[in-house]
Amino acid sequence: MAYSEKVIDHYEHPRNVGSFGKEDGAVGTGLVGAPACGDVMKLQIKVSPDGIIEDAKFKTFGCGSAIASSSLVTEWVKGKTLDEAAAIKNTEIAQHLALPPVKIHCSVLAEDAIKAAIADYRKKTRADDEAAE
Amino acid sequence: MSHESNSPIERGALSPCWSCKGPVIQRALFCSTCAAVQGPGVVDHFTRLGMSRSFDVDMVTLDHNYFDLQRRLHPDRFSGRTARERALSQSQAVAVNDAYETLKDPLKRAAYMLSLEGRKVDIHGTATIDDPELLMEAMEMREALADAETRAAIDKVAARAEAQVLTCQCALSTAFGHRDLDRAGALTTRLKYLGKLAEEARARKSRLIRPVA
Repeated sequence: MAYSEKVIDHYEHPRNVGSFGKEDGAVGTGLVGAPACGDVMKLQIKVSPDGIIEDAKFKTFGCGSAIASSSLVTEWVKGKTLDEAAAIKNTEIAQHLALPPVKIHCSVLAEDAIKAAIADYRKKTRADDEAAE
Repeated sequence: MSHESNSPIERGALSPCWSCKGPVIQRALFCSTCAAVQGPGVVDHFTRLGMSRSFDVDMVTLDHNYFDLQRRLHPDRFSGRTARERALSQSQAVAVNDAYETLKDPLKRAAYMLSLEGRKVDIHGTATIDDPELLMEAMEMREALADAETRAAIDKVAARAEAQVLTCQCALSTAFGHRDLDRAGALTTRLKYLGKLAEEARARKSRLIRPVA
């Protein structure tokens, strides 16, 4: 199967690989997996006090499409609000990377990862708010 | 499932031989009346290979039964037979192969047993999972593998993975023994991840031996 140039670009030059400290209150972590491929994807966001995603990092063990999908999402979410980032659809990722049908689930994984990271961040801040009250 | 599944003779269900119309039990290869080869019929993989339905498969018996069936279904034995018999013996051989491939592999066997119980374990599907314990373990082990630079370091990760595969298979045996299908499902996914890790470790080792230019 031939990968598109965009997939190869992200695969060979992945953007924003790495980790933030999970305990940091400004960080939301999404950890998801695709049992079909044995893939595991970690996507983290760092959120400013006014609710803007300042930075994002990922670490993915999986195929080229999974790496490219998560790399692309970290680029896209920077500068977005949480709601905007949560609105990213896997179809947009798949379309941008020209993923073949058998690799669509990699873009689903990336969408699930960003949603999980946002949910984790919101859970954390809610817990902080409650602790403050 | 149709109403037939409640039938008391489900396992040894009889159907008429296509050739002589005599009664044949479903897993039989040949008609006991006219000796004509039968079609594969609808039986589960365990029944097809004459094994009891358990996660603990005796590999010696499994191999023995499999090779015995394949010997009796060998194409040479049907060279002088009708086209129909040749076709039936071939589809029997395919069904026997399929059953054997599923039962000899612990991961496929576990997923198959869950599917027999109506559980869907997606070892080929595309569903996302978010079990934090499993994924953190997988991430941690894949990171350890990625950081392993020498053969010895890779061997260490691989040995740890293989040991966990065995532990996981033992736990699966217990879970199926207690009919704890939720646990069996979670362990099956874990086994998939551990298998992937072992596969990656082998690939990394071979790249180390023959560096890709």
